[in-house]
Amino acid sequence: MQQQRALAPSENDAALAHAVAIGEAGAEAELYRRFAPRVRLYGLRHLRDRHAAADLVQQVMTMTLERLRENQLRDPARLASFILGTCRMVVLDLRRGAARREALLEQYAERDEAVPGAEPRVLEAARLAECLGKLAERERSVLVLSFYADKSADEAGRELGIAAGNVRVIRHRALGKMRGCMGLE
Amino acid sequence: MKDHLEFNALVDYWFDGLAPERERALEQHFFACAHCAGRLDELAALGAGIRAVFRAGALGTVVSRGFVEGLKREGLRLREYRVAPGASVDCTIAAADDFVISRLEAPLAGVERVDLVWSSERGETHTFEDIPFDPAAGEVLFCPPAAKVKTLPAHTDRMRLLAVEAGGARTLGEYTFVHTPG
Repeated sequence: MQQQRALAPSENDAALAHAVAIGEAGAEAELYRRFAPRVRLYGLRHLRDRHAAADLVQQVMTMTLERLRENQLRDPARLASFILGTCRMVVLDLRRGAARREALLEQYAERDEAVPGAEPRVLEAARLAECLGKLAERERSVLVLSFYADKSADEAGRELGIAAGNVRVIRHRALGKMRGCMGLE
Repeated sequence: MKDHLEFNALVDYWFDGLAPERERALEQHFFACAHCAGRLDELAALGAGIRAVFRAGALGTVVSRGFVEGLKREGLRLREYRVAPGASVDCTIAAADDFVISRLEAPLAGVERVDLVWSSERGETHTFEDIPFDPAAGEVLFCPPAAKVKTLPAHTDRMRLLAVEAGGARTLGEYTFVHTPG
């Protein structure tokens, strides 16, 4: 009997798709590890809600797995493109209405099921507060309006009396400082 | 993948959206690039952290009217104090309050730059330079760190708004907050 090899994180997407298709050990876990965070980020960006993003991860990863297990991915090298396309399709579906969303959830996933590999990264709060305290007031205000209230540069600028272009510049500068202060660079 | 995305491009994508073609290209890239997906994950983590720190009342900052209205719509409990220039207000914060907002009224029309100077009766002073403000609003909204304010004993704070002009600084208003623990 042939011994199964462990799948390395460096395997390319085509090899990974093939490994999932033939049921190789660790392949599905590696698929989640690699792509679930990207799907979650896409969901956060387009749905602006972490629960909706988590739902998206479940749906997209389940649909991807089904397609791979049935060996129905036309070009395995374009696995990332397939998953992105599935994200776009599901987000469109989600936007069409809550009823449709519930139907998809029922069809593809258990709502409370944890999705391995998609847990958000958590930064240390005390350190974050310290770093935010070091910013100039404009920078702090822009970051709070941007992240807490999801305000675009246009909206934040209108409300704070700053041109939208300057809001972008302030935001870039502030985030550069935050990354440096948090040791993320 | 060799040419990674600029972090600032990811920031613009995250907040404002890009032209459809550019947005599709950026998404195509980060779905296929572990490095850039990691940078975007950093940005999301920073955002989640900043939201959590602010929501916990651990951060003081100048905010906008629209932002305060958003907090109310969210169902959060706000205590607001509107203070005219030269006036004093008795203030407090209860354990159940989420935020306290100081609304400092001031004639801001035509003003280019404003500094906010906070001073305590213990002699501490902190200047917030070049704060953001809407000249048409006629007020500056300051949201102090609620978690810290809840721990403070009875005390008096003063705030001063300064218009910073070519010839120097001009006082727009002085405001006194007489705090009693909730």
